[in-house]
Amino acid sequence: MREAPWKDAAMPRFNVRPYIFIAPALIYLGIWIFYPIINALVLSFFDSPTGRSRDYFWVGLGNYIKLFQDDLFIKSLYHNILWVLLSIALPVVLGLLLAVLLAGRGRTRLFYASVYFIPQTVAAVCAAIVWRWIYDPSIGPLNHFLEAVGLSGRPWLADESIVLIAVNMIGSWSYYGFCVLIFMAGLQNISPELYDAAKIDGAGALQQFIYVTIPLLRNAIIFVLVYTIIGSMKFFDLIFVATNGGPNEASTVVGLRIYWHSMREGRFNYAATMSTILTVVILVLSVVVIRQIVTDDEGV
Amino acid sequence: MRTGPQPRKRRSYRSARLLQSIIVHAVLLLFVFIALFPIYLMFNAALKTSAELFQSFLSLPKEPQFQNFSFILNEQGYKGALYNSMILSTSSMILTTVVSVLAGYGFAVYRFVGKQWLFLLVLTGLMVSETSVLIPVYQLLQDLGLLNTYAGMILPQAALGMTFGVFLMTTFFKDIPRALIDAAVVDGGSDLQVLRYVIMPLARPAIMSLALIEFMWAWNSFFFPLVIATKQWLMPMSVRIIDFMGRFTFKYDMIATTTVILFTPILILYLVTQRSFHRGITFGALKD
Repeated sequence: MREAPWKDAAMPRFNVRPYIFIAPALIYLGIWIFYPIINALVLSFFDSPTGRSRDYFWVGLGNYIKLFQDDLFIKSLYHNILWVLLSIALPVVLGLLLAVLLAGRGRTRLFYASVYFIPQTVAAVCAAIVWRWIYDPSIGPLNHFLEAVGLSGRPWLADESIVLIAVNMIGSWSYYGFCVLIFMAGLQNISPELYDAAKIDGAGALQQFIYVTIPLLRNAIIFVLVYTIIGSMKFFDLIFVATNGGPNEASTVVGLRIYWHSMREGRFNYAATMSTILTVVILVLSVVVIRQIVTDDEGV
Repeated sequence: MRTGPQPRKRRSYRSARLLQSIIVHAVLLLFVFIALFPIYLMFNAALKTSAELFQSFLSLPKEPQFQNFSFILNEQGYKGALYNSMILSTSSMILTTVVSVLAGYGFAVYRFVGKQWLFLLVLTGLMVSETSVLIPVYQLLQDLGLLNTYAGMILPQAALGMTFGVFLMTTFFKDIPRALIDAAVVDGGSDLQVLRYVIMPLARPAIMSLALIEFMWAWNSFFFPLVIATKQWLMPMSVRIIDFMGRFTFKYDMIATTTVILFTPILILYLVTQRSFHRGITFGALKD
């Protein structure tokens, strides 16, 4: 794209060497990523009484029809979408605000960002375990604290109406530092003169934020949104350990359904159909976000 | 901002600034507390006895119980799990980093037919997750006879981070001044020499970042190992913790100890190499 034409002069026109360098990666990804994606699609058109490939028989769209009559799957997909929205509402917005608060601070900025990032280095498994204790109705510090200030505690992870939000708080805990880091790096690229110019034009803090910060953080915002969507659609570890989908499937997600149907029930084709849907949803949502923001920009 | 307000407004302006500054600091510190509190609980619980824990989760241990660690590692045999985690993370880190550096070189330095498309293909791989490929990968490993082997754990794990690796290396290598590569080529340097003596020294921080992030991902990984390593002797630490929890639900002190054992190596690695972590993580967001 942006290369100078120097290579053309120094090298012959068709060169096999770049292909040799990228071949290992492409072959490797081909075997473990791209072939499995296509294979999941193929598997979704078959069924098998034993789960072994020699017993496959063609069912066409049968699995998909079954899938969309499967209330539990619809529910789990809905939970994933809800998780995307919760993750944008909480850690992403929070990360942006904290990054703005940190902007312009010298060394302390790095200190804060480093500390905020620490939860991201905690394995989801560990985070889920610790937060199960925090939420625990009898021994948990959260209810103790609430009772001490005169509020009533709740069985956070056992209450169907709030369990998903409670688990999302765990995810948010480990994620906001990541968002701070990305937005902070993005803010560093904005020249202070733009803010000075906005101030001369009489813009207040909020206006500066809306008209200077947000548009110039476009790349960082796209990145975080897409990353959040992907992460929210695929996650498994956290919910598996925190609630395993319960109570009464109130926190089940697609990842759990895939695991359950394949590894516990041996219905590999049905699970592969879910995987395919998941891949498509991730792809579509990501493209929508990227396109939406890119057209917005061209409209201006 | 520094030009200063009108003199008669100055006092109220100052106190408003002071108030604002206090609020901002309070907010920033609140989130420091939120970030660290669960981690405090984790370490605190690991250093207490069960009886102490049932009295209070919050208070500091009367006497730190370091024997919890030796009990878990030696008597419960979790040394092996730690060893498995080490094998899994180190191998997939090396595999991913080497392959990504090579591909990054190909993509960043050369122009060739199909380059945009191939790079785009790699990028779409960023959207693929364990859940999307679980069944085909599982069946592939089954056919190859690799379930419950180290190779079976390592190979797919390395692939998961590789799209990110190729992307990161390509972006970093593109930033290296072309004149340097050019000079080396004119002097008769081969590709591998250019890579070894020009690119690698200049991109060492970037390669470090990639290696660290890949190590962390593999160390904390759970889904694939859970499915692929079902034999206890092969389970990495992350999976063994759940195994332990299943058997001793209320042994909070011991469960906490296992989480501390899993977390501490990564915490130390992060604290020592923060800048590398931050560089690797933020680069993608700003360069595309």
